[in-house]
This record gives sequence, structure tokens and C-alpha cells, in this order.
Amino acid sequence: MARLLIEEVSRTFPGMRGGPPTRALEPTSLAVGDNDFIGVLGPSGCGKSTLLRIVAGLEVPTTGRVLLDGVPVTAPGADRGMVFQSYTLFPWLTVKENICFGLREKGVPAAEQARVAAHYIARVGLEGFEGHYPKTLSGGMQQRTALARALANEPKILLLDEPFGALDNQTRSLMQELLLGIWESERKTVLFVTHDIEEAVFLANRVAIMTARPGRIKTDVAIELPHPRHYTVKTSPEFSAYKARLTEDIRTESIRAATMR
Amino acid sequence: MRPLVPVAPWAKVALGVAFFVLFFAAWAAATLGGYVNRTFLADPVTMVKAGWRLLTVHGFYEDIGVTIWRVFGGFALAAAVGVPLGIVMGAYKPIEAFFEPFISFARYLPASGFIPLLILWAGIGETEKLMVIFIGSFFQLVLMVAVTVGGTRRDLVEAAYTLGARASGIVRRVLLPSSAPVIAETLRLVLGWAWTYVIVAELIGASSGIGHMITDSQALLDTGQIIFGIVVIGVIGLISDYLFKTLNQRLFPWSLA
Repeated sequence: MARLLIEEVSRTFPGMRGGPPTRALEPTSLAVGDNDFIGVLGPSGCGKSTLLRIVAGLEVPTTGRVLLDGVPVTAPGADRGMVFQSYTLFPWLTVKENICFGLREKGVPAAEQARVAAHYIARVGLEGFEGHYPKTLSGGMQQRTALARALANEPKILLLDEPFGALDNQTRSLMQELLLGIWESERKTVLFVTHDIEEAVFLANRVAIMTARPGRIKTDVAIELPHPRHYTVKTSPEFSAYKARLTEDIRTESIRAATMR
Repeated sequence: MRPLVPVAPWAKVALGVAFFVLFFAAWAAATLGGYVNRTFLADPVTMVKAGWRLLTVHGFYEDIGVTIWRVFGGFALAAAVGVPLGIVMGAYKPIEAFFEPFISFARYLPASGFIPLLILWAGIGETEKLMVIFIGSFFQLVLMVAVTVGGTRRDLVEAAYTLGARASGIVRRVLLPSSAPVIAETLRLVLGWAWTYVIVAELIGASSGIGHMITDSQALLDTGQIIFGIVVIGVIGLISDYLFKTLNQRLFPWSLA
């Protein structure tokens, strides 16, 4: 059974000052199986973030519905952890307190919070930075903390909205490996939105390509590269073949997006 | 000098002190040099002597104490009601819609204009003085706190929601801590305004306080005492401002750049 079901979900924004309404997302369906790592790939402005925000419960779909383990999603909740593209650590909390935020909200005892936090701090390689405030951390470290904060809640599904989009190339590669390592060892279910083809192929076991706005899922490609994936897989012929194919698919959409107004 | 380039710490202190020195030198030159009639402006030496007499003979420190108590009393009342109201207004939009138009209207009502009315209602005792300060600071404070809380970064609120926070958790664990440093800065600003209102309140119908001493001195044409009173207010303001600033930096180390 699918863990997450997106059924004919669409989103239309009301027109500004009596203008025509804007359709951001055409009715879209997607089934995410347990332990799936799905990459949602699309040109900017195609509504992929809107789709993710609807799954998170931060936005309400105009039509359709989202089911998590068969239960309709109506509001945001701790069962769907999210990492945003912007840095969203709470600046008044230390790394450790940020990671414990969700646990504290649930009323988990302090000792248990400390144990879980220590585990995820080690998992994302932030030992020694537990007491630091976010402003003293680099962008990569902030996003690692954000990832640990989402994971500490043990969500049923992890929603990632271009979490490495603001990082430099080298940091981004390392973060991809870190995320992949966590997924391979802890078998989480992940929905990952990106516009980076290489990132999608490297991380995901399925890539859904979205069309230009108004977006819908155009193709759904299984990435059959063996796990554990090492970063050297990026130079293999199989990887290049996937990349070439997805590049061709997304190119037509990007051209459409660029020529549309 | 290039735009926005910071100044060294020692130079900052030296420059700040330099202007005080220059200011007093110009004042001394104008008065002691005989360019200004002494009836209208006392010289610095006369002011210091007048101040010493006030403190040692006339018990001026009691007036200072009374004024400080009035300022902090009125300010504490305004903060005790205004900060919580501002927070709920910022957080809950229907509550804001209910109060905001009236408070926006009320903040333009001049606090000093209320003094005759307040004397009629509450007499010339302490209640009237506290009410003037309350009216002068409360409405401004509420609006500034509401704007601060309402301006909380939406992405932080959304992050908290995806971590399982409910409405009360959003208010207590996101809106409050994120607004706290700005609210503290707002309080510092409003305390400064409270100082101007207390003097206005004391100029009319008061029997004690720095403002009362100033009106008494006017009747005696003692400009030395008047200037001393004004300088005392300035010095107390400077000290309380510095203490407030230091306290804010201690309380919210995470918010410093």
C-alpha cells in the first residue's frame, strides 16, 4: 500500500484586483510507497513547491486530496517533517534546542529528548556545535541542523523543498551524500523537490518530472542505480544516460516556461 | 571617511566626549564672556553652584526620587497592560481588527491635553501623574508591539507547524521569543518618552518633582536651577537608557549581529 497518495490535487490562486485567477497546479496524482525516495523535478515556477506545501498541510488544495496512510491531510502535523530552502532554524534556540523543538512540543521527557538529539547531532556530524546559535553556523551546517530537527520527530514522510538550493556546489554534494546515507541506513520515505537534474538522479529511486506552469506530472522515471550509491556513480555511463534523458524532458518544459509569460 | 566604515572603540568614546566638551565650552564662552545677559542664561559655574545648593540645602534629591518613581510607575503600568495586549493583537487578527482602529485614533490624543481633565478627575496627586504617563506611552506601545509580533517571519511559523506545534505553541514558542528583543527595544524607546511626559505633568499642578522645581525656579528667574534640573533629567535618561541596553544585550545574545 502506498504511504502517501496525492489524488487529483490542484491549486488555483484567486486573481489580483479582479484579474483572472492563476492556476499554479493542474490536477496531479502521485503515489509514494513506503521507503520511496521520490524526486520531483521541474522548471522554476511549475508549482512543485506548491505541491509539497499542500502535502505538508501549509496550503489547502483547490481540488483533490492528500492521504497519508489512508488518512486525509487537513493541517500541518508532526507526521510530515519538512526542510525548507530558506534557513528556518529558530535563531533564539541553540542547535540542540532546535533539534528538540518538536519533541518538546510532544511532551517527550528531557532525558529522552537529549538522547534523540545526541543521536541525530552525531548522524549529521554536528558534534561540538550543540550549544551554538544558528547565526554562528555556516549555511550547510544550518541545513544539517534543519534536517536533524525534522528527523528527530520521526515523521512518516520527509518533505524536502530544495533544501540545498542556497548552498555552494561542494557543500551541496556533501549534503546529498549525507542525506543519501541517512536514507540508505534508516529507510525513510522522502519526497524531494528540486530543479537540479543531477541531484534528483543521484538521490531518488523515482523521479517525477513536472510540466511548466500550470504544472502537472509529465513523466515518472524509475532510477535503477544500485545502492549504496557512492558519489563516483555520477560519472558512470548509466548515470549519464538518466541525466541525458531527464535533461531532454525538462528542457522542453523550461523552454515553454521561458516563452510563456 | 568612507560610508558605513565602523569607528574604533577608543575613537568612538573620544568623539562622543569631545562634543560634550565643545558644547559646554561654547556655553561657557557665551555666558562668562558676557555675550549673553545673565538674567536669561546662567553660566556653567552658576549652574553647578545652584545645583549644589539645591541638593544640599533644598533637598532636591527628594524631587528627583519622586520623579523617577512616577516615570517608572507610569511606564510599568503601561507596559504591564500594553505588552500583553500588543502580543494578542499581533497574534490574533480578529482581536487586532477590534482594537487597532481605536488605538490608532487614541495615540494621536495629546497626553498633555488630558492634564486639566485628569486633574479634575484624580486631583493633583500621584494618580494624575501616573495617568498622564500611562496615556502618553500606552497606545504607542501597544501598536508597536502588535506590529512586531505580527511581523514574525512566516517561514519560522511554518517550520514550527511542520514540527507539530499548535496555536498556543506558535504563540509561546515562536511569536514571543522571536519578538522579545524588539519589544525590549520598544520599551527602551517608550521609557524615553515617559520622561518627557512626567516633566509636563509636573509643570502643572504639582508640589514635588523635578518639573515642579523648574516652575518654581522660573518664578525666581533662577536659570541656573532650571538648567540644572534639565541636565539632571538628561543624565538620568542616559543612565537608564544604558542600563536598558546592557540588559537587552544580556537577555538576547542570539539577536546580536
